[in-house]
Amino acid sequence: MSTSTNKNSYKGLYWIWAALTVVGILIGLYAPAWLMPRSMSNNMHLTVLTMVVFSVAAAPVAAGVYATALFALRHWAHKGDDVPAPGPQVRENAVVVTTWLVVSTVLTVFLLIWGLGALAVDNGSNGKNPLVVDVTGQQWVWSFSYPGTHVQSNELYLPVNREVEFRVTSVDVTHGFWIANMGIQVDANVGTITTIHTTPDKLGTFNIRCTQFCGLNHAFMVTEGHVLTSQQFTSWLASQPQRA
Amino acid sequence: MTTTLEQTKTAAIPQGGGLARRLNMLTAMVGGGLVAWLFWFLAHHFLDPTSRTYSDEVAVSLTIGWIIGFWLGIGAFIAPLRWVTGRDNTRADDLYLAGQGQGTSRYWKFTTDHKVVGVQYIVMTMVLLGAGGILAMAIRTELIVPGNHFVNQQVYNGFIAVHGMLMILALIVAVAGPWGNFVVPIMCGARDMAFPRLNALSLWTLVGAAALLLTTLAVGSLTMGWVVLEPIADQAGIGMDFFAMAIIVFTVSTTVAGVNIICTVMTMRTKGMSLARLPIFVWGAIIAAALGLYAFPFFSLVEAQTLVDRTFSTSFFVASGGGAGWLQANLFWLMGHPEVYVILLPAVGALFEISSVMARKPVFSYRTAVAAMTGLAGLSILVWAHHMFTTGWAPTLGGPFMLTTELISIPTGLFFLVLIGTLWRGNIWMKLPTIWMFGFIANFIIAGVTGIYLSDIPLDDQLHGTMFVTAHFHYVFVGSVLFGAVSALAFWFPKVTGRFLNEFLGRISFWLVFIGVQVTFLAMFVSGLKGMPRRYSSYAIIFEHSNFITTIGAYIIMAGMLVLLGAVITSWNKGEPAGPNPWHANSLEWMVPTPVPLENFDVLPVITEDPYNYGEELVRS
Ligand code: HEM
Ligand SMILES: [Cu+2]
Ligand SMILES: [Cu+2]
Repeated sequence: MSTSTNKNSYKGLYWIWAALTVVGILIGLYAPAWLMPRSMSNNMHLTVLTMVVFSVAAAPVAAGVYATALFALRHWAHKGDDVPAPGPQVRENAVVVTTWLVVSTVLTVFLLIWGLGALAVDNGSNGKNPLVVDVTGQQWVWSFSYPGTHVQSNELYLPVNREVEFRVTSVDVTHGFWIANMGIQVDANVGTITTIHTTPDKLGTFNIRCTQFCGLNHAFMVTEGHVLTSQQFTSWLASQPQRA
Repeated sequence: MTTTLEQTKTAAIPQGGGLARRLNMLTAMVGGGLVAWLFWFLAHHFLDPTSRTYSDEVAVSLTIGWIIGFWLGIGAFIAPLRWVTGRDNTRADDLYLAGQGQGTSRYWKFTTDHKVVGVQYIVMTMVLLGAGGILAMAIRTELIVPGNHFVNQQVYNGFIAVHGMLMILALIVAVAGPWGNFVVPIMCGARDMAFPRLNALSLWTLVGAAALLLTTLAVGSLTMGWVVLEPIADQAGIGMDFFAMAIIVFTVSTTVAGVNIICTVMTMRTKGMSLARLPIFVWGAIIAAALGLYAFPFFSLVEAQTLVDRTFSTSFFVASGGGAGWLQANLFWLMGHPEVYVILLPAVGALFEISSVMARKPVFSYRTAVAAMTGLAGLSILVWAHHMFTTGWAPTLGGPFMLTTELISIPTGLFFLVLIGTLWRGNIWMKLPTIWMFGFIANFIIAGVTGIYLSDIPLDDQLHGTMFVTAHFHYVFVGSVLFGAVSALAFWFPKVTGRFLNEFLGRISFWLVFIGVQVTFLAMFVSGLKGMPRRYSSYAIIFEHSNFITTIGAYIIMAGMLVLLGAVITSWNKGEPAGPNPWHANSLEWMVPTPVPLENFDVLPVITEDPYNYGEELVRS
């Protein structure tokens, strides 16, 4: 016990841990909503919430590792240039290993249950007469059509508070259809239709960016989308040229 | 027998060798060039130029010619040919091949001594990291401000593909290559690898593959990302053919190396070296090698299918012919996820080793460490579809793959337990290897936590395909694996050179890289969270600040890596002398003299305990 007198006093460790945990939790609570795009749909509310929950759950674990590392640097670092004396020759500690396993398993199971629950909500359709929009990706533009109306557009228009079903496909290579404000993403594949659902619940404008590398102008495969009131949406539909 | 034990530098050059005496890297390049030209000539003249796939056929022929010629020119076939014709290598031939008495020229030859191969792997790792690093700087420079025109988009797209693949190859070999070859046989108490000639073959095959991969940049038109995304890879030019061949050749190299390392550990251990007494790094190396043997066949398979799609118009991945891009994605990630652990495990094994020596304590819960590494390897073959959550492929499998992926955090958590448990109340020797190890611990936490976000499907629906994913895996590769690799380099450098890696430069490098990683990749998380997709050559104004910061951080990392390079170069011949066992460690590689003599041991040692007894201080708890 040459190096340090408070070698067996772990008070400092608890304090660092507590402080870092608080910092972690604060970041977890505020950073996602602050950094992520404005939430405009039920899916995105859930996405942000999940991010918060996972961050808060991870905070004490990450803080524990950081605190121990810092504590080790502070108290257990050998000073001087000589070879350090042997440390305590501990090889096993069944209690510690078991506790660690149990805690990490419990945490994982919690995250998993949360995830499966969120997944069920996320993918679900409320079944109430969704508005169907056909989405087609093509190097390097998006186009949208509204079955039953012959309307086709390069920007997306949606009514608020009504579920939308996107049926997504591509004519050339794979593209990624992503509405960052709504927390939904699915690939546009050639020869297949993939489907996703969401319910926009805020009015406003958002971006649609391609998330699947699709060649030369992938970075420019961007378009705008608009959430309108249902009257605005109906009159927008009516004002559009009817393409066959 | 005694001649074999003399140090390589002083011993006389043996009589044997035959034709091999005239061959080296130069003849390999010339051979590769000539046969490539021959194959090109034949293909060019005899294939049908009106065929849609003509240029791809010619390109593939040329690359096959390159690698055959390269193997011929380095002398890879000499010994097998002699064996077939009944004139097996003599002892003198073998000694010549092992490089006895040949000074530094042996590093440029088909040399079988495992220590020479280890050093060659150090150099190859640095070459690959350097080339990939230059591309990274070009990519970040393009992205420093929105709408920059540092390189054109076509070139940029090629850069991201080749940068990615170069770095993957670099990290696959970064720890397992140098130290799996240099120290693992000595740690086991063996005189060389089980198959010394295969060892040289794996190294030179890697060189041939790296050359092909670098050529792709000159041939250009690589619109497919490092994952060779289909169907868009079908639109890429002949650079794609070189790219795929480079990967196929690389998998030959890793397979040969993996078999060799496993056989060495399984059959060449000295008396008393039971599996439970193996230094923990050996476990990391062989578990990674075994996982590679499972994973890399998918790699060559998927690239071969891409090639036959392009040359023979099969349509494995082309929708119009009944194929599917999803098939490509499945095969690629069947390889791709295990591969990330092929990369990680040797580094983790090395860090377990280093933490024990530096804290002067046994590895905490050795069995947990082995079980966690094995469990991780096992789990990692069952999680690949987490790279395909948003593709639309098999939505009903989302739940199961979410389950397996999140289970990964349990063995990953055990890594932290072992590392921290080993450091706990130790007398930690704060030398370069230790410092880089602490860097690993800090960064790997961030890598792991962000991995958990990505394994949750509702979150992945937001984060997939964005800079968030890019930042996640760079925290793993740069923040964790690279830190582990540098720690291992600093740790075993004295065994290779007899000198310490310069502590002062090494610390400057550490701080630059460590701070650089946080600046670069924390800002990259922000870009991703704000909604910036990855593989963008240009971006909207809202991503301006975070991208600028990322680019500055990348320059800081580059500066740190250059300082490290300077430290390696200056320390190699001029560093502070270290003696045979500078860290006062107990494993066998430290018991042999430095420089390590050819065939390592005068008399093979007999092992009576594991290498982790540092003293008798009693446990107080
Ligand atoms: C707790 C541990 C980890 C978990 C749960 C995890 C999870 C994930 C998930 C779900 C993805 C897919 C993200 C997406 O594309 O949407 C991903 C991507 C990736 N991860 Fe991890 N990861 C973990 C650790 C690691 C480690 C240790 C490595 C490397 C040694 C690694 C390397 C990668 C790479 C290379 C990619 C991206 C590949 C690409 O799309 O180009 N991850 N990770
Ligand atoms: Cu795209
Ligand atoms: Cu993965």
